[in-house]
Amino acid sequence: MNFAFALELLDQLPTPIAAIAENGTIRYRNRAFNDAFGGDAIDWIREAARTVAGERGWLQGFFLDGDESRTIDVEIEGRVFRIDRIMHIKDEEGPAVTVSFEDVTQQREAEQAKSDFTAQIVHDLRGPLSGIQGTLEFVLSQEGAKLESLYADLLQEAYRETERMMGLVNEILDFSKIQSGAFIVETEPVRVAGVLKRAVRSLQSVAARDEIFLLSAHGRDVPQIIGSVEKLTQAVINLISNSLKFTPKKGLISVGAQIVRNGDAPEAIVITVTDTGMGIRAEDVDKIFQKYKQSGTKSLRGGGGTGLGLYIVKQVVEAHGGEVSVASIEGVGTSMVLRLPVKRAA
Amino acid sequence: MSVSPVSSTRPDWARLVGESMKQHGVWHTYTKLLEARRQYPDDLALRGYVEIVRNGIVRDFLSHPRGLQAVPKLSADFLSHFDRFNLNAQEGYLVSLIDGRLAVQKLMILSPFDPFTTIFILAKLEHEQAIVVPQ
Repeated sequence: MNFAFALELLDQLPTPIAAIAENGTIRYRNRAFNDAFGGDAIDWIREAARTVAGERGWLQGFFLDGDESRTIDVEIEGRVFRIDRIMHIKDEEGPAVTVSFEDVTQQREAEQAKSDFTAQIVHDLRGPLSGIQGTLEFVLSQEGAKLESLYADLLQEAYRETERMMGLVNEILDFSKIQSGAFIVETEPVRVAGVLKRAVRSLQSVAARDEIFLLSAHGRDVPQIIGSVEKLTQAVINLISNSLKFTPKKGLISVGAQIVRNGDAPEAIVITVTDTGMGIRAEDVDKIFQKYKQSGTKSLRGGGGTGLGLYIVKQVVEAHGGEVSVASIEGVGTSMVLRLPVKRAA
Repeated sequence: MSVSPVSSTRPDWARLVGESMKQHGVWHTYTKLLEARRQYPDDLALRGYVEIVRNGIVRDFLSHPRGLQAVPKLSADFLSHFDRFNLNAQEGYLVSLIDGRLAVQKLMILSPFDPFTTIFILAKLEHEQAIVVPQ
């Protein structure tokens, strides 16, 4: 295949392709590129490079070894282009890279629409679900009515199912907020000991029903951090709920907090939720914090879940400037570890 | 379980801890993990492995037939040679509460430590034969 033929071939492709030199000038562009960007191409490329340079050093990054698969979405004048590096060129004119430009504006709009739809439907679901849950809670609290045990059992079962459904709906709602960029972490002082206590208390009855010990493993002297009480509580509840699914009867789940110090000053808090469950297969350990991913281990108590719980935990922790990790030994147990920095209030 | 000096590559904790628990038991593994934590203070997963081992110890203590109703007693060895036991402040405090009448559940209420720590200390005291927990 000769060079002219290769250029002709590139000209026939519907995807805009250009070869860009290290200084940002365009050394080659195919027909689709001209059609898409016309005479303003150089300005456009410079604008794109400037847009991303502060964030990821995109243009410079194209010329570095070991950076083969860099893809980035760039928004210019209301349109979104996904830019992929195709290959590295080095000839007598110097180094250059060929890059392709895919207009993903419609795709992004569709994703946004999907996200908006999810948020709307989840809000619509929560209303009646809260009503049903409240009614059941009220009926179950009526001791004087002496509900026959059969009815009481059925109502308990219905109540547990609404709790489970509420959990799923809340996970989808949190997920849609993360996807739409509306996931904002408040900056209020958070008593971590209080968060852990609340999370343990909210699942104590579930653990007792399943004959699992659920114990606090932290003192009261855990320092405060800055963040969101609600989101951190939800993250710890997600972790305990997850452990409850995989811990057999007579098992133990502990919820602990340790202080990491730098000299005398507390630097971070490490929260652990540890169970004596079945453990996670080694090949699944790295995947469990990804969205829609669940460990290959089958839940002991049915109910597959959304596969979003641990993903949400990771997002919450990262939004607080922290990090997550996991330790697991098959057949022995699993420990989810969250590290949250102790930020001083301004 | 042996621990190599600080290096940029993380040891395969899951394998090391699993093998150590099988070959040397939980207490030996726990001691080695504490040593490892001093060498790898920033390894978050390692903290998780320490907790897994501690959890196993506490679960085993709770799975005694009488569980929380068991009544710990000070051992004869402890009563005659208490100076040989190298207790830390927390362990010493809990030992002071053990009178041969209070059950584990009551000790958990009276103890100033969290429930998990209280049981862990009791398990450690039992392992070191400072107390006996008749079942």
